[in-house]
Amino acid sequence: MPELVIKDLTVRNTAAQREVLAGVSLSVQQGEFVALVGGSGSGKTMTAKSILRILPEQLQIASGSIRLGSVDVTSAPEAELNRIRGGRLGMLFQQPKRMFNPNRTIGKHLKEPLNLHGGLRGRAADAKVYELLADVGFEDPAWGARAYPHQLSGGMAQRAMTAMALAGQPEFLLADEPTSALDKVLEQQILELLDRQRIQRGLGILYITHNLASVAAFADRVLVMEAGVIVEAGTTEAVLGTPRTECTRRLLEASNLAPTRTTEAPTSERNVLTLTNVVKHFGSGKRWGRGSGNRPALDSISLAVKQGEILGVLGQSGSGKSTLARAIVGLEGISSGSIDRTLAAGATSPHTAVQLVFQEPHDSFDPRMTLRASLEAPLRARKGLSPADRSRRLNEAMLEVELDPDLLDRRPSQCSGGQLQRATIARALLMEPEVLICDEATSALDALTQRTVLDLLQRLHRERGMTLVVITHDMDVVRHMCQRVAVLFQGRLVELTDTPGFFADPQHQHSKDLVSAAIPCRGLHLKKMRALP
Amino acid sequence: MITFLAKRTATLVAAVLLSSFAVFLIPYVTPGDPVRKIIRSRVAGDIVDDSTVQALSESLGLQDPLPVQYLRWLGDFFTGDMGLSHISRTPVVDQVMPALGITLSLVLVALGIAVVVSLPLGTVAALRQGGKADKLITTVTQSFIAMPEYWLAPLLVLVFALKLSLLPSAGWNTPSSIVLPALTLALRPISFFTSAVRAGMIDALEAEHIQAARARGLGRGQTVWRHVVPNGLVPLSTLFAVWFAGLLGGSVIVEVIFAIPGMGRLLYDAVVNSDIPLAQGGVVVVVALAVAITTLADFLHRILSPKVSGSLA
Repeated sequence: MPELVIKDLTVRNTAAQREVLAGVSLSVQQGEFVALVGGSGSGKTMTAKSILRILPEQLQIASGSIRLGSVDVTSAPEAELNRIRGGRLGMLFQQPKRMFNPNRTIGKHLKEPLNLHGGLRGRAADAKVYELLADVGFEDPAWGARAYPHQLSGGMAQRAMTAMALAGQPEFLLADEPTSALDKVLEQQILELLDRQRIQRGLGILYITHNLASVAAFADRVLVMEAGVIVEAGTTEAVLGTPRTECTRRLLEASNLAPTRTTEAPTSERNVLTLTNVVKHFGSGKRWGRGSGNRPALDSISLAVKQGEILGVLGQSGSGKSTLARAIVGLEGISSGSIDRTLAAGATSPHTAVQLVFQEPHDSFDPRMTLRASLEAPLRARKGLSPADRSRRLNEAMLEVELDPDLLDRRPSQCSGGQLQRATIARALLMEPEVLICDEATSALDALTQRTVLDLLQRLHRERGMTLVVITHDMDVVRHMCQRVAVLFQGRLVELTDTPGFFADPQHQHSKDLVSAAIPCRGLHLKKMRALP
Repeated sequence: MITFLAKRTATLVAAVLLSSFAVFLIPYVTPGDPVRKIIRSRVAGDIVDDSTVQALSESLGLQDPLPVQYLRWLGDFFTGDMGLSHISRTPVVDQVMPALGITLSLVLVALGIAVVVSLPLGTVAALRQGGKADKLITTVTQSFIAMPEYWLAPLLVLVFALKLSLLPSAGWNTPSSIVLPALTLALRPISFFTSAVRAGMIDALEAEHIQAARARGLGRGQTVWRHVVPNGLVPLSTLFAVWFAGLLGGSVIVEVIFAIPGMGRLLYDAVVNSDIPLAQGGVVVVVALAVAITTLADFLHRILSPKVSGSLA
């Protein structure tokens, strides 16, 4: 049986003259589920890209071997590599929607590997496309094949990507953070889908992630990577049960956000934000004769946010979470109802008292502007601030979010996701807001960075009495820091309760699904899901 | 998409109506007696005595309210009756249509040359971004922007017509007459198209889905052909339409220099000679065509780039 074996792989960045991977060795057998874990920048993704030989130009394999059965991938000719890519080795990527050509339908995408590796064309290819889409859980495969990538939700796009990776009947699958942008329910469904392939046809899976909870549930073996080196390897039970390195311990801790005691109940009973019967419709929702119909994005939502509390807003993608956030700050008009702000006496302008932190840090900055220019822009709109005042405030805000003020003169592309997300928070703080709305503010970050940003938000809450509305799909984040939870489902507010009560006794069916899908770490449910139908 | 189609068609019609109304008003807002000007464009032969003018004014409905006159004028116009030229005393439509045909072929050939030249140049520049080929192509094509037609046209005539005697220097008699004017006209679009193709290709090359395509076994060439080139060309479709519409009336300098009886030349002559009916006919036809072309390009863009129709529907 073929085996994927990497021996002493060293990859050099020829531009920066440093090693990205240093002596990495790992192996995956057919039918095995191996997890490769580590923080961002540890070299996980580069390992996967080395295997497929799709590394960026400046990265080169300096030494070592990658063997797939009898083929040495490091020296194989391009034609052989193209047969391996998608044919013997499938790959899943982190941001499924960005991995599709926006101008081609899903069906056309799927036909590429079918044609390249299976020689299928015309009707036969069409039939196979439907079959593959049905296999990965498309209820209407014909619609799925006709759909363009932007018409799919994140979960559906990852399913389609899975169908595409499996289309060439690969022996091994490289899954690079396939679920980190998805909520827990979807994550579990995708991983179960992969695991079923493993059981049914002996697919070997190299699962790259920073999420140890899912590793505990699915992986046979775990390799921990730090700074381009495998620092720990062994069975899942051994590595997660008795971690030997500091790196593994930090990852475990970050994946296991325990409830904190620092977030006491608010002392004030003033409602900063009061939403009354808020309804939001988006157009007709119909296009090409089909669409989501007329369900409102927000369906008579009434909600009061108390001053000084941390309110968690939970919901799956498409539940209306982001629309709610945008409606509260006024980026989106509402169809009916009202949103009132009651601000403290002597507060700053009511227009800036509620600030929003977005999900994608790289998308929330103009790539052509330095951070200084981006952060200074809103301050310039204020009268009575001299350039020196502005500069001083910028420095203070940067220090407040624990960033080096020198970063101000960099462009977004020169900063990490974590740094940018802090800068987004700094930009919000410059407006001296009373309420900070964080729309999935940490879900694009890896677990370790996510942890530090959450700590920052909690410190702001503690020290400044800032009111936080934390919009997320991550149950751990809610459990970790929120005092109350609001659950959105199909645009409606289906549950609003305090956090301990929510986890102990969720009322609505959707809340129950969410709570039961949240896989706690520490091996508690280890292997619980191994026995699949 | 259906809503979009309806909306854009309504905008198109509104734009044509608005501009045609402005054109319709020309006899009323220019110096002189509008009634006499209009009669001169409707009736052959010279009419001097006031009683005939009065009679004709009534029989042509020139006493009616302006909107009624406008609708009648518009109806006549789009059924092919654009009136008589004040100068040549022949129907305007018989001058406008041949001129339009000439200009259309001139503009299409010029833009065809521009596309054929800029596609490979832009693609090569993008694939060799920052390299010598890129720098050379970018510098040369950018310099075309600074070459005015009235400078380039005589230069081309000097070389190809006078020195080498390969091509006619002016006129519109043989198929080869089109070469020099089309080349002159193509130069600036080449410059803009090349930089648009280059930018579009670079964006398409850097898109993340390209590595996903490589990861499912598509070779380098196949990836470029299937996923880079089509995506990189989307911006060109819009730019093409803008230039097409612009050159319909904007080819005047080239047409005058090369003595080509095209649309630009016709409008130029109509204005110089105060030939109101001819100017009216020319302007409305050019405007209607330009608006139709940009609308078509919008449809095309939405078909090429379905995500656009998703976000704006």
